[in-house]
Amino acid sequence: MELKGAQIIFYYGLAFLVLIMAVSLIRARSAVHAALYLMGALIGVAGLFLLLHAEFVAGAQILIYVGGVVVLFIFVIMLVNVREEITEATRLFTRQEAVAWALVGAMLIATIIALRREANLLPPAAAPMEEAPLALAEDTQRVGSTLYTRAALPFEIASLLLLVAIVGSVILARTRRQEETFD
Amino acid sequence: MHGAMIWALQEPTSFVGRFLEGLTAPKGIVDFLVVSFMLFAIGVLGVLTRRNILIIFMSIELILNAANLNFIAFTRYWQATGRISENMGHIFTIFIIVVAAAEAVIGLGILIALYRNRQTVAIDEINLLKW
Repeated sequence: MELKGAQIIFYYGLAFLVLIMAVSLIRARSAVHAALYLMGALIGVAGLFLLLHAEFVAGAQILIYVGGVVVLFIFVIMLVNVREEITEATRLFTRQEAVAWALVGAMLIATIIALRREANLLPPAAAPMEEAPLALAEDTQRVGSTLYTRAALPFEIASLLLLVAIVGSVILARTRRQEETFD
Repeated sequence: MHGAMIWALQEPTSFVGRFLEGLTAPKGIVDFLVVSFMLFAIGVLGVLTRRNILIIFMSIELILNAANLNFIAFTRYWQATGRISENMGHIFTIFIIVVAAAEAVIGLGILIALYRNRQTVAIDEINLLKW
């Protein structure tokens, strides 16, 4: 799976796009800007999926996340009145930033140690497969056949989950007047 | 300048040469794992430091995307080593996307109900269950 040539340029461009958008998201003052940065980060992750030859998942990521979830976020931002966040107000717990950075630093050190130790356990790609460019239709076909043979029961359970989510969101978001009208 | 760059590229013991060599080396699974980890860490930082509940939701989406990137990278890696030929990582990623969409719908429904009762989205002002 070694990336060579122009793929390295795409890798760096997409990786920096994703990380810069993510940092901008958690630093954004207004929630609308944060939603737009989230959209940029999700498009960058979809590009990384394309580099890893997961064309169908990249398309699903664009359609569901960028077309669905981010639009839902923007609708909710429109419905609730989001004030500018006052960072100097009371903290959730004392020394919040210090605790967060210490946790992330500990995770970074643990990951570096794990990667150094496990590097020998990951065998190199001894017999490199022929790097024939997979067509979108071919990748979709493979994903579909795996989805309906190996993961057919979870697929049906996912449809039930989506039904429950639809009904639950309608129940949760209705007003008291609507409840009295229809009960 | 050009000659110096060629010398640095041919002499990997120098710092610049090793840096350029690492920069232009073929990218394997570890490079994708590094991007995934950094995305995860940024998401955790957002969850821990922000007070706006909408931005906390968006940080959770970043964390889920880091997990998706790990699944796809490992699937590609094991396919390239020839050990497996199927793509179960893609299936896991699709299910994670489905569950994330359901989670966003329910969470934002709760948020709208909460905003209707309390007129706030700051999580330190939402303390009904605190005492």
